[in-house]
Amino acid sequence: MKNNEHSTPVLVIGAGIAGIEASLLLANSGRKVYLVEKASYFGGNVIKFEEVFPNMECATCMIAPKQQELLQNENIELLTLSQVQAVQGSAGDFTVKVKKKARYVDLENCIGCSACFEPCPVEIDNEFEQGFSKRKAIYIPCAGALPNVPAIDTENCLRFKGEDCQLCQEACMFEAIDYTQQDEELELKVGAILVATGFKSLDLSKTNRYGYRKFSNVYSDIEIERICASNGPTQGQIVLRDGETPKSVAIIHCVGREEKGYCSSVCCMSSIKLAHFLKKKLPEVKITQFYSDLCIPGRTYQRFYEEVRESGVDFIRARVNEVAEQGKELAIKYKTEDSKENTLNVDMLILAPALEPEADSDKLAEMLSIPQGDGGFFTEEKPDLDSSVGTLKDGIFVAGCIQGPKDIPDTVAQAEAAVGRILSLSR
Amino acid sequence: MAKKIGVYVCECGTNIADNVDIDRVIETVSPLRDVELVEKYRLLCSEDGKEFLKQSIQEHGLTHLVVAACSPKQHELTFMNICEAAGLNPYLFQMINIREQCAWVTLDKEEATGKAIRQIKAAIARVRYHNPLEKKEMDVCPDVLVVGGGIAGIKASQLLASPDRKVYLAEKTSYLGGKVKGFDKLFTNMESGSALIEQELKKLQGNENIEVLTDTEVEQILGFFGNFEARVIKKAENEELNLSVGAVVLATGFDLLDPAGLSQYGYGELDDVCTSMEFEAMNIPGGATGGKVLLKNGKPPKSVAIIHCVGREEKGYCSRVCCLYSFKFARMLKSQLPEVKVSHFYSDLCIPGKSYQKFYEETKGLGIEFVRAGKTKVAQNGKGMAVKYETERGQEGESATDMVILVSAMEPSSDTNKLAQLLGIPLDDEGFLAREHQLLAPVDSSVSGVFVVGCAQGPQNISESIVQSEAAAGKILSSLVPGRKLELEVRTSEISETFCSGCKTCISVCPYSAITFDEARGIAVVNEALCHGCGACAAACPSGAASLKGFTFTQIYEEIATLVR
Amino acid sequence: MQEEFTPRIVGFLCNWCSYAGADLAGATKQKVPASLSVIKVMCSGRVEPVLIATAYFRGADGVLVAGCHPGDCHYREGNYYARRRFALLEKTIETLGLEPERLMLAWVSASEGQRFSEVTDQFAGRIKQMGPSPLKKALL
Repeated sequence: MKNNEHSTPVLVIGAGIAGIEASLLLANSGRKVYLVEKASYFGGNVIKFEEVFPNMECATCMIAPKQQELLQNENIELLTLSQVQAVQGSAGDFTVKVKKKARYVDLENCIGCSACFEPCPVEIDNEFEQGFSKRKAIYIPCAGALPNVPAIDTENCLRFKGEDCQLCQEACMFEAIDYTQQDEELELKVGAILVATGFKSLDLSKTNRYGYRKFSNVYSDIEIERICASNGPTQGQIVLRDGETPKSVAIIHCVGREEKGYCSSVCCMSSIKLAHFLKKKLPEVKITQFYSDLCIPGRTYQRFYEEVRESGVDFIRARVNEVAEQGKELAIKYKTEDSKENTLNVDMLILAPALEPEADSDKLAEMLSIPQGDGGFFTEEKPDLDSSVGTLKDGIFVAGCIQGPKDIPDTVAQAEAAVGRILSLSR
Repeated sequence: MAKKIGVYVCECGTNIADNVDIDRVIETVSPLRDVELVEKYRLLCSEDGKEFLKQSIQEHGLTHLVVAACSPKQHELTFMNICEAAGLNPYLFQMINIREQCAWVTLDKEEATGKAIRQIKAAIARVRYHNPLEKKEMDVCPDVLVVGGGIAGIKASQLLASPDRKVYLAEKTSYLGGKVKGFDKLFTNMESGSALIEQELKKLQGNENIEVLTDTEVEQILGFFGNFEARVIKKAENEELNLSVGAVVLATGFDLLDPAGLSQYGYGELDDVCTSMEFEAMNIPGGATGGKVLLKNGKPPKSVAIIHCVGREEKGYCSRVCCLYSFKFARMLKSQLPEVKVSHFYSDLCIPGKSYQKFYEETKGLGIEFVRAGKTKVAQNGKGMAVKYETERGQEGESATDMVILVSAMEPSSDTNKLAQLLGIPLDDEGFLAREHQLLAPVDSSVSGVFVVGCAQGPQNISESIVQSEAAAGKILSSLVPGRKLELEVRTSEISETFCSGCKTCISVCPYSAITFDEARGIAVVNEALCHGCGACAAACPSGAASLKGFTFTQIYEEIATLVR
Repeated sequence: MQEEFTPRIVGFLCNWCSYAGADLAGATKQKVPASLSVIKVMCSGRVEPVLIATAYFRGADGVLVAGCHPGDCHYREGNYYARRRFALLEKTIETLGLEPERLMLAWVSASEGQRFSEVTDQFAGRIKQMGPSPLKKALL
């Protein structure tokens, strides 16, 4: 589909599921798209999950064809390791400054053979794998990440710290590693901007909430997602830190809900999904979920919840007051609504924290002059009375969790709606 | 015409060359029949590699191409483009994976080489039977039929209509605005629903590109994406209209479950037990009570009980919006009758999203009572009406009340079934119009070109319904571009007229309803505009009449025969 | 002296899931038996029993069909058809006394590189143990 010379390009910020969907629709209509992504790979949060609710579909299988299509689409320029620095102008005529960090690996020459990883002497915790495995200073975050081209992490790379190491370059057969690459400052002229920068989980480590980062076997839900992943650090084996298989698991919903002041929409379902997955992998495991209100509004969500409950997972409406370590186990002290107190001992505790806007959102909001409302999420134009993809700034749209926590169907609908708004503007 | 098959083996630097003895491959494959040349190259996907390939194809006048390299998922498209640039039909080409699925996974070099040779031989055997295939395009009509004149239908029409795209907005009643028109207040800012509708309708007025058809029902929709023929009837005039459109948006909205079937609530038996819609109607300024909340006896209530989740157990799903509009009711009541006692009876509060908890807490702060009770019933005793409830822990209680509002489950509107049948759209297990893919295609129905938006596809609030109507608009604006033809799948299925026995097995297996039966000729015919090229029909056909281009029986047979030798 | 038996296994892999899974096995440098030769189809639903039987009767020691997990089929229901047809074929082969254990249907997703390696390794091991296909004698 050739570029339509009469329409201006569109900037999409964030290459998660919303950014990908919007970019493909815009590109297929003939528009040029600049898809700016700050990470070295794209796919956002969805590619971290093994399965997604409610049908337990394989997340990577679901999104891979779209990613492939995107990489091959001539109208989409994917700019990884890139962040928006400044925005000027108005609808139809924005000038956007983007800083594109150097990857130090040539995207054209690299064939993704991973020969450069082995010789690298630096080993660091792999953030994508939530620290469960290590990566090198030249790395891709996980098997199957796209584009299948590594990046050099200049903070940990010996060469970039002043040492004379060129082991990765020596190992490369294709002259793909280029230490002389420079960061670039790009100036893009676009007619519309779509912000789709997504979410992150509330950071539990600062408060050691419920023993997180204090006791061995307390995990956040995103950490368990990587443990469940077949392309993850344990290839999908469910194990505790000492390698043992857990016999009992507890999941606490709504972690951080009180201080955040809102319900994060998806955590009940994703917790139920995790329980379903764990039960499938470990049929004998005993799972107990602690929640305050069950938020399962989707069509088939209740059915799924009932199935999981019938499979032997306990759901207890209670407030968890304290988690203590008792030998190898975790003692969960909770109080039910009739004020009765009780304790449950488990091997593994999973926390489902609140969802927040992705890091650096404040800066982005300021750059775009978009107000942030409750929770720091971007405010839509007319809350409740109109579409939630329009903002108070003409020509700037939002889609996905940056506008508020939501599930994948609502995210994709917003991305498509933003495209609807953008395409109808250009007449 | 003599075949000249060119075989190229990519070394992929050392990735393939290290583990596969490429020289032996060349030696073994060169003498094969029809093979014009077998050459190796360091990196075929590089700029000079691609140039080399193009030149080589032209120089040798090759009729077919085989490339043994990385996964076709990486570079099949790259080499197909080279074919085209070199003047060779890109479908007279087969790519073989000797990297990811050979060099990288086989320990022994001997074995890897043997495997590579086998696969390349199979590709050569297959490619002999490839046919040139051409890109296909189809003329489309960019116009759209929107069925349902509620907020979702109105918004979709606004976004879609333009001088080069006409929108027909068909509404079965005599007015536009659907349910929202009848809401005096909307959550969360308590603004008027009818005012919102008025505002939106103003945007429709004078828009020559939108033809509003009220009192109109859809009788029939035939055709497929880009080329639908819809027949609608204007009931008042008994006039039939035939509309040619490219896409259809279904926005037929919802109804609420009738609580008359749930005897524990006393609806229809006890006075002053009403449904949410009846409560909404009561508040309309021009309504029967002049906008005042009144009991049957004409007096205002001193206490109102709002029962959530009525019918939830029977329906098996949460209706998503009711907790929120229940809070709205509480505020409306307090605003009109500051002294009224309002009590909510609920099992779980469903208030997802960044602002709704605040809305709930502010509502609670008005002195509203919230009682968590799984089981409730409404009874009349000597003193009056009361809500009898049981908490999850088994505690029983009774709460006297003047008035009860039953907040019942959302259902698809009564016409949804009929429309679904007209269009061949399945309903999901809850009775709503099913989406093509719950996650990735939330507004597409399984019939290409027909979109399902708003409460017709599931309970949602106004903002969500509008987002969905805009999403449908986005998909239509992106794919049905005025003046632009629709590109079709190339490797589609085809059915031989000669061999088709008219058994219709293929029709029953096609996931996309892409095959129709031609009664006159007694054969099945594939609609290339709908065919996705999966091959289910080819596999199912007992006569061998159905075949999938690019994956014919002969082509696959040749691969098999070579691989087992 | 007995010649060492090198099985010939034909695998039909669907383009969207199992072929991608096989690619991932390669990208992560897993081991996949060299005895497996691959035929790519768009969907496991394309693989009619006649094709499987052809491979078997023409001398394959083992035949594998791999597709997307139920519910994940790129074409909605192709893999369900594959499952049904395979079940019938297995029964038929069994009735004919022809070792249905030489046929295998597996679901491999695009992210299951390791699983593809395990499944194919297991299958090849089984075939190796079973020895050459009984139908090979008929072909000689």
